Amino acid sequence: MKTRLSLILVTAATVTVACGASFPEPTQRLADAQGARRSAEEVGANNQPASQLYVKLADEEMTKANALIKDGDNRAADRMLVRAKADAELALALAHEQNAKVETQQAIDKATATTTTNAIQGVQK
Amino acid sequence: MKTIGALGLCLGLASLAACAPSVPPQELINARTAYDRASQGQTVQTDPADLHTAKETLDSAEKSFADNGDTPETRDVAYAAERRIEIAETRARTALQEQRKAQVVAGMNAAQTAAVRTTSAALSLANQQLSTQEQQLQNETLRRQDAETRATQAAADLARIASVKQEPRGMVITLSGSVLFASAKSDLLPDAQAKLSDVANVLAKESPDSKIVVEGHTDSQGGASFNQELSQRRAESVRAYLVSHGVASDRVTAQGFGPGRPIADNASAEGRANNRRVEIVVSPASR
Repeated sequence: MKTRLSLILVTAATVTVACGASFPEPTQRLADAQGARRSAEEVGANNQPASQLYVKLADEEMTKANALIKDGDNRAADRMLVRAKADAELALALAHEQNAKVETQQAIDKATATTTTNAIQGVQK
Repeated sequence: MKTIGALGLCLGLASLAACAPSVPPQELINARTAYDRASQGQTVQTDPADLHTAKETLDSAEKSFADNGDTPETRDVAYAAERRIEIAETRARTALQEQRKAQVVAGMNAAQTAAVRTTSAALSLANQQLSTQEQQLQNETLRRQDAETRATQAAADLARIASVKQEPRGMVITLSGSVLFASAKSDLLPDAQAKLSDVANVLAKESPDSKIVVEGHTDSQGGASFNQELSQRRAESVRAYLVSHGVASDRVTAQGFGPGRPIADNASAEGRANNRRVEIVVSPASR
C-alpha cells in the first residue's frame, strides 16, 4: 500500500517538472525575431503588399510573446517567438523577391531602350 | 485497494491517449502540402539547402505529432516548417529573377560593346577619310602655292628683261627692237638671243596651253612696204628662236604690222625707238 502511494507521488512530481515551470525567459529567441523583423523592414517589407501581412503577423506574435513572458509562461512565449521569427524571415524573403522583380524589369526596360537607340543610330549612320 | 486500482487504470488510459496519434493539426497539414508542392517544383534545383532545412523542421513537427499528438508545440513547429518551406520557394524564385536580370544585363552589355565597336570602326574610317582629304587639300594648296610662286617668279624674270603688261588680249611682253636687231636687219643680235632664251624658258614652262602671237612693229621712217616686210621677218625670227628653245611650234604664230600700230609719237627719236619693237602676246588657250 505504501509502495503504491509512493509510486503515484513520484509520477505526479515527474508530470509537474515536465510541465516546465522553470523554463528560462527566451531572450535570445526574442532578439532573433526582432532582428529578422528589422531586416525585413530595411528592405521595404512594410511597404510591399506581398510581405506586409507577414510583418504584421510577426509584430502581433512578438506582442503576444512579450505578454506571455510577463505572465511567466516562457515556454509558450518561446514557441510564439518561433512563429514570429519565421514570419519575419518570410517577409524579408518576399521583399527581396519583389525588389529583384523590379530590378529585373528595370534592366529589361533599359536593355530595350538601349537596343532601340542603337537601332535608330544604326539607321541614321 | 479498489480505489487505487481504478486510479492506476485511469492514469494508464490517459498515457495511452496521449501517445496515440490523433487528427493532425491544420498547421501540419499545411506544412505537408507546402512541402509536397516545393519538392516537385524549381526549389529542389534552385535552393536545395533551404528546402532541406525546411524538411528538417517539418520532420520535427511530424515527430512531435507522432510522440505527443496535436499539441501547441506540434502546431508551432509545423507553422514554422510551413514558413521555412515558403521561404525556400521565395528564395528560389528570387534566384531565378536574379539570373534573368544577369542575363539581360550581360546581353545589354554585349550589345553596347558591339555598338561601341561599330561606332568606333565608323569613326576610324571617317577619320581616315578626313585625313586623306586633308592631305589632298594640303597637296593642292602646296601645288597652287607652287604654281603661284612660279608664275610670280616668271613674271619677275620677264620683267627683268622686258616690259610686261596685262591687257585684255593677254599678257604682253614688249622687247625693244634696238635690243633685238641691228638697224634694218632681222637677224637676232647675240645679246638679244640671251634675253630671248630666258623668255623662251618661261614660255615653255609656264602656261603650256596658252597661245602665243609674236608681233613685229616698226617706226614710220622708210617705205611702208619695206617696214611691213621687216616687221614680218623680225616677228618670224623671234618665233623661230622661241620654237628652237622649247616652245611648241603650234602654239606660236608670227605677224608683222609695220608702222601701223605705233605706241608713241614718231616725230621724236625717243617715240620712234619705242615704236620699233617686238610684242609677244600670250593668251589663254580658250581665247
